Amino acid sequence: MDGSTCKVLLVEDNEINRVVVRRLLGELNVRIEEADNGKAAVDFIREGRAYDLILMDKEMPIMDGHEATRQMRSLGVSTPIVALSGNSLQSDRDLFIQAGADDFLSKPLSRGKLAHILAKYGLNHGD
Amino acid sequence: MALLALKEQLNVLLNSMFAEGLLDQQFQQLQMLQDGSSPGFVAEVITLFCEDSERILTELSKLLEQQVVDYQKVDAYVHQLKGSSASVGAQNVKLACAQFRQFYEENNKEGCIRALNVVKHEFYRVRNKFDNMFQLEQRIQAYDAKQQN
Repeated sequence: MDGSTCKVLLVEDNEINRVVVRRLLGELNVRIEEADNGKAAVDFIREGRAYDLILMDKEMPIMDGHEATRQMRSLGVSTPIVALSGNSLQSDRDLFIQAGADDFLSKPLSRGKLAHILAKYGLNHGD
Repeated sequence: MALLALKEQLNVLLNSMFAEGLLDQQFQQLQMLQDGSSPGFVAEVITLFCEDSERILTELSKLLEQQVVDYQKVDAYVHQLKGSSASVGAQNVKLACAQFRQFYEENNKEGCIRALNVVKHEFYRVRNKFDNMFQLEQRIQAYDAKQQN
């Protein structure tokens, strides 16, 4: 897949984190949409929006990442969902995988981590 | 020569911030994102971080002044501050937030108040250094602009 058309949904309530990741993904030639809580992200899916990758934070107001992931999977979303968390505990990872996530990244995110995960899911950028 | 001296001061300041644990490699990630198309990126993010952190610290202070503390809200705010400090590379603030957790998990009000004071101390420490850093950068830019004219 051509990285210049790759679209990522970032689901993250922390504005500063969104600003940084937005810039990191921009550098990697990725289009980005953002939701500041799990419910907003699920609503995007219900509206028919499609993505090549979803980055899902864990702790968010209104609806957390676990629940948003579960709901997306029950809606038939097969897009890779990468869980984001400030903890790198195995229990955290396990809970997210059980909810339907495909992968896990520990925060803070770096260019290297994002480039790696994009490459892992065949979303190679022009980097 | 004055320009070189300013640049050297900035280097010394940044090196000391890393050496003292105020900053970690995530700050270098931010620096790498600053370029011609986004010349003020670091300042933008750090300004946002400082404003948001002040707001959170004020809210935490109010929560801990209550007779009955809402520890869930304390958790939410500390989590937010831990996340944003990690994102900008403010290492000591991040670590202080991590230490805070044990106290609100125990519903330990006195412990929370002490932990909040540590977070405040580390935040104001790094914020003052950021202020110095941006002042030096502005002076360097002014000098550069003057030399080019």
